[in-house]
Amino acid sequence: MRIGIDLGSRKVKFALVHEGLVVRLESFDTLSFYKRFGRMEGDDLIFDLPATGLFTAAELAACSIVATGYGRNTLNLKGVKVISEIRAHVTGAFFQTGFRDFTLLDMGGQDTKVALVRNGRLQDFVMNDKCAASSGRYLENMAAILEVELSELSSHWEDPVRLDATCGIFGESELIGQILRGHSVARLCAGVNQTLVKRVIPMLKRFPSDMIVLTGGVALDTALVRLLEVEGFSVTVPDSPQHNGAIGCAVID
Amino acid sequence: MNRTGFTTTIPLEILLAAGRIPVDLNNLFISGGKSLELIEAAEAEGFPRNICGWIKGIYGAVIESGIRELVAVTEGDCSNTRALMEVLSLHGITTVPFAYPHDRNPNALRDEIEKMMAHFGVDWAAVNRSGERLEAVRKKIREIDRLTWEEGLVSGEENHYFQVASSDMNGSPESFEEEIDSFLRETSSRTPYRDRIRLAYIGVPPIIDNLYPFLEEHEARIVFNETQRQFSMPYGIPDLLERYRAYTYPYDIFFRLADIKLELEKRRIDGVIHYVQSFCFRQIEDMVVRQQLSLPILTLEGDKPGPLDARTKIRIESFLELLGERI
Repeated sequence: MRIGIDLGSRKVKFALVHEGLVVRLESFDTLSFYKRFGRMEGDDLIFDLPATGLFTAAELAACSIVATGYGRNTLNLKGVKVISEIRAHVTGAFFQTGFRDFTLLDMGGQDTKVALVRNGRLQDFVMNDKCAASSGRYLENMAAILEVELSELSSHWEDPVRLDATCGIFGESELIGQILRGHSVARLCAGVNQTLVKRVIPMLKRFPSDMIVLTGGVALDTALVRLLEVEGFSVTVPDSPQHNGAIGCAVID
Repeated sequence: MNRTGFTTTIPLEILLAAGRIPVDLNNLFISGGKSLELIEAAEAEGFPRNICGWIKGIYGAVIESGIRELVAVTEGDCSNTRALMEVLSLHGITTVPFAYPHDRNPNALRDEIEKMMAHFGVDWAAVNRSGERLEAVRKKIREIDRLTWEEGLVSGEENHYFQVASSDMNGSPESFEEEIDSFLRETSSRTPYRDRIRLAYIGVPPIIDNLYPFLEEHEARIVFNETQRQFSMPYGIPDLLERYRAYTYPYDIFFRLADIKLELEKRRIDGVIHYVQSFCFRQIEDMVVRQQLSLPILTLEGDKPGPLDARTKIRIESFLELLGERI
């Protein structure tokens, strides 16, 4: 039995796996999780996992723990095996899809990772750098500007309004300008989703595959999937895209 | 004061023949202990944020150090140098332009060299004599490089340091040679590295300060520092003109790649780190590098001086993992 933990910038994700089956998936907001259950002991970061109530004492006693994520390089996790994010995500994608040849597109709170997998082996990867305007956090900001829920934002893909700002913050004022022009919320939502596509296409084109496996919280954006398909990509979203990294941690050899 | 600065490697032979103390302004900027402040000061004066940190750092270093004369390489390196020259001239600083011809045309390069010689009032005989003096030091730097990749006795960072410092010989070939001699004596009693992964570093020297130790913590050692090695004039060519035509850095990317490919093979490299500076035209050349080299490549981008950030560490670790699986 193993617990996988993915310490993301927006959410901390957990997966409990037993004999090759995912028993439980959980998540917490990152900040509140660190505040409530984390503390530093010297250079080590300690999580009070029993206090989270996510796992029983028997489970915690029986489990080994493997973690990945943004926090892992600045903090040592005591008693936890730590693996790289790219390994965690690729392993999670193998487990969830069974594919051996694909391009992984993982879009999280801040990171966008694109990895080329051939014959079940990681060949190469790229990550966004310096700019996080193709991330989940960007979508959250834009939803807030449009005063819609993320679920609403993620449902529109047709006839997108053109948005060109490079910066995710300037993008907000650009969006406000388009609102004033009277475009419908549906078309504005589609425009926001289209900006994500434009930003990831250069990375995807670097590693062409017949199949894109889309993971991370942004994979829940169904309009994004539709727009990628319009661009000619075949996209698979596994059952638990947001927990893909945590699952990868829980199943890695 | 007879210090003369320069913005990237130039024929050092000329400055030494003229009795000047050479100062590679990049080294002055990055090793002065306050590189970040120099950049901030340059930005406060009006340098845009989206301009290379080295240009701003050099500007800050020149102003702060009181250097009154510099050779500015206007072709073959960053074209921002031209505007840098113009701004520095407002401070009354003498700027001597030097251009490496993109096509390596020998006549054009000879003209540039002779123009610079005329400015400093030296003749070919004097320049060739200082060339011989420098070759004695450069030969020892080549030995440090060989000890790095062939014997495994020198760290990637030490290799970087001695080669990068060869651009101005730390201001004095004599004391630099002593430093090299003492280093060489010390390496003879070392135990060779047992690397898991052998890396090449290509591109301009890093603005990041802890890349090499971070890699070595992961049993990955850089055994080829491409540009730094070029600064040490690695081919031992006696003729000055040919020496600076063989020097790859200021010419086109394909010429550089020919040297890189040979060394990757010879040094049994497992993977390549291509470092690019934010806002540099060489970021575009990454496309060519990726197309032309068959080894796995990690492109790292650096902007301001300082340690590796958490995101870059993640990328490096993943890259090393990928290489580890392939070996």
